[in-house]
Amino acid sequence: MGSTKIVRMPGRRARLVGSLVAAMALTTLAVSACGSSGSSAGGTNLQLYNDKAAWTPFYKQMSTQAQKDVGLTITPDGYADEPTYQAFVKSALKTANTPDLFTWATGPQLDQLVQAGEVANTSSMWKQAISSGELPQGLEKYYTVNGQQYCIPENTSYWVMFYNKKVFQSAGINSAPTTWQQLMNDAAALKQKGTAPFYETNVLFSFVWFQTLLAGENPTLYTQLTEGKASYTDPGVVQVMQQWEDMINKGYMSDPGNKTDPATLLKSGQVAMVPDGTWFNTSMVQAGMKSGSDYGMFVIPAINPSVTTTPVEVETGPLCTSAKSSNSTNVNKFASWWLGTNAQTTWANSRDDVSANPKVNITDPQLKTLTQEVAGTKYQLLERYYDAVQPDVLTAALSGFGAFMSDPSSYMTQLQTIQKANASAGSSGS
Amino acid sequence: MSQQLLTAEPRAGGSKPPPKRRAGHIRGLTGWSYGMVAPSVLLVAALLYAPFLWSAWLSFTHYNGTGSPAWAGLANYRELFSDPVLDTTLRNTALWVVGTLVLPVGLGLLIATLTYNVKGGAWLRLPFLLPYALSGTVTAVVFGFVLQDGGALNTLLHTLHLPGSSVSFLQTAPLNTIVMIFAQTWQSIGVNLLLFVIGLQSIPREPIEAARVDGAGGLRLFTSVIWPLLRPLTAVIVGLALVAGLKTFDLVWIMTEGGPGRSSETLAITMYEDAFVSGNYGYGAAVAVLLTVIGLVVSLLYLRQQASPKRELDLTGAGR
Repeated sequence: MGSTKIVRMPGRRARLVGSLVAAMALTTLAVSACGSSGSSAGGTNLQLYNDKAAWTPFYKQMSTQAQKDVGLTITPDGYADEPTYQAFVKSALKTANTPDLFTWATGPQLDQLVQAGEVANTSSMWKQAISSGELPQGLEKYYTVNGQQYCIPENTSYWVMFYNKKVFQSAGINSAPTTWQQLMNDAAALKQKGTAPFYETNVLFSFVWFQTLLAGENPTLYTQLTEGKASYTDPGVVQVMQQWEDMINKGYMSDPGNKTDPATLLKSGQVAMVPDGTWFNTSMVQAGMKSGSDYGMFVIPAINPSVTTTPVEVETGPLCTSAKSSNSTNVNKFASWWLGTNAQTTWANSRDDVSANPKVNITDPQLKTLTQEVAGTKYQLLERYYDAVQPDVLTAALSGFGAFMSDPSSYMTQLQTIQKANASAGSSGS
Repeated sequence: MSQQLLTAEPRAGGSKPPPKRRAGHIRGLTGWSYGMVAPSVLLVAALLYAPFLWSAWLSFTHYNGTGSPAWAGLANYRELFSDPVLDTTLRNTALWVVGTLVLPVGLGLLIATLTYNVKGGAWLRLPFLLPYALSGTVTAVVFGFVLQDGGALNTLLHTLHLPGSSVSFLQTAPLNTIVMIFAQTWQSIGVNLLLFVIGLQSIPREPIEAARVDGAGGLRLFTSVIWPLLRPLTAVIVGLALVAGLKTFDLVWIMTEGGPGRSSETLAITMYEDAFVSGNYGYGAAVAVLLTVIGLVVSLLYLRQQASPKRELDLTGAGR
């Protein structure tokens, strides 16, 4: 019936209504296209996009404190899926409505945004924070591109070994190992007791043992490799893979296909040790374990005795703003506040993690000791493998290490595949 | 009769020939009609054609998502066709297409036929229909829990002292692809079953009764009468299954992320992995173009074969 009515409408009127319908549709499209994410120019509430959705309660806590201290608030918008988050940020930065604040990664990921001129320069902020002692000089290099600094540290973590103290004691181990040989002896004792000594996974964090073994064996080669100046088929890299294979064959590693949360595995004693960033401490506390009595942490000893300063991988996540931000005054005010000791004390201790700010008093005694230790001369900080390598090399490496765990004898094939990606990234050493 | 029931455009005027149409002009389309059609055309152009053309152009560039794409000519395609991962991806995609055709469609037809016109048939079909209410993601999460190392299946086999308790279902290729096809079958068998039941309901009684009078029954009745009459609907179901198999993504991404070592990747996963995980949008776009071309070629070949004159004759079920 309706169609009959339409056909009977006079021609001019029909064209007019038709044009109106089309115009309305176009307007709707245009409005919806423009109404996407972004900042409110000059607003005191800053949108903070992040890839750490689980930290939303901690961001909200910081918002409350920022409102008290500097009259600004933040609204966290967390993404759980990393590729989705990265695609969102890259596309949002191209619009006129850029995010106020967003978390990112150091290394090539930061380089890409800087080269495209999409991220704001923070050199003056860094200069001021270093001179006031609120940021260590050693961290600056991770935020430096072409001699200038971009973004500020959102979080900083050291990669260490977490261990279940009760499982250690039941295997007759009364203290954390301080040499690689002691660590291997402990692993043998734990294996004897029926516990998987070490945690490993073939999804996302499949790089961890490669990072640990290569940095511990040859920190120079580790740095060259992450910078694309060495080959994955280098005899030094091959030797590390053989050592990893040997550890798997000895039964020292947990089942890499087990998707159970490592905190649960450590708590239940199914695994005795988990190599992870200090942010894993948050998971341990949330799993109901007590720091110091239920679990401990130690710096993983260097494998090669000739390495005199023990390598510790550091992970630092940047908090950035767009170079085109329309709310730069409030964003800069917030960033300066964020770096301060007051804000960082809340931020670090609420998450039971360490801080980039050396003035922060860490409440967890184990973390406090660790922070003081790694700041000393006996340790050298290396950038975490995940952040240090080119994205397409990382993808090949994560897949390659995952495949290696399923078939440890395939290490050479995997290294050749990763090297292919390394070479095509234009930075091969071979 | 069956043709009228199962074809999209039944002829309303009996033997009256269809009205002639002038090329480039749709009869009765006035200014008003153009206005009504315009939003849809614009939407399709903006949301389908433009992104496709953009992707096709992107496939000839190097682009990491920042700045502007840099022209690369055929470099992405050269790299793609020399990448050993492509062999694995194409093999897995082919496995998915065959698996999706044989299992959900085949089993859907079998269960529909066995339970049709049987007392309590609806209740027998119900367990197969229920999983269809679940999304692909939920199915993947549930089966991930069942099939992961030390998961529910390993535990069950261990408890019952059966072999296979230490098999890594999701970590060993091509076993991981095969078990994921079974998971997909569990979820999608219901929709095929439902469509075949509708097809069976639309078959007129006369030819079946006539065949029975002629002494046909069981398998003979199915192969000579029911199957030919179901063929038009089967053509649609198979076409849908072909496309579903080619674009397999969600289940694999949730269960294995294409791993370990890219061993369970399909073309759609490879595209996502290269474009969004590696941030290599140009290369990812080249994979997307390859997937589109394969999808179009397979669909066209299939549709052409279905629409051949011989097939037209078969559709009517005449002469059987």
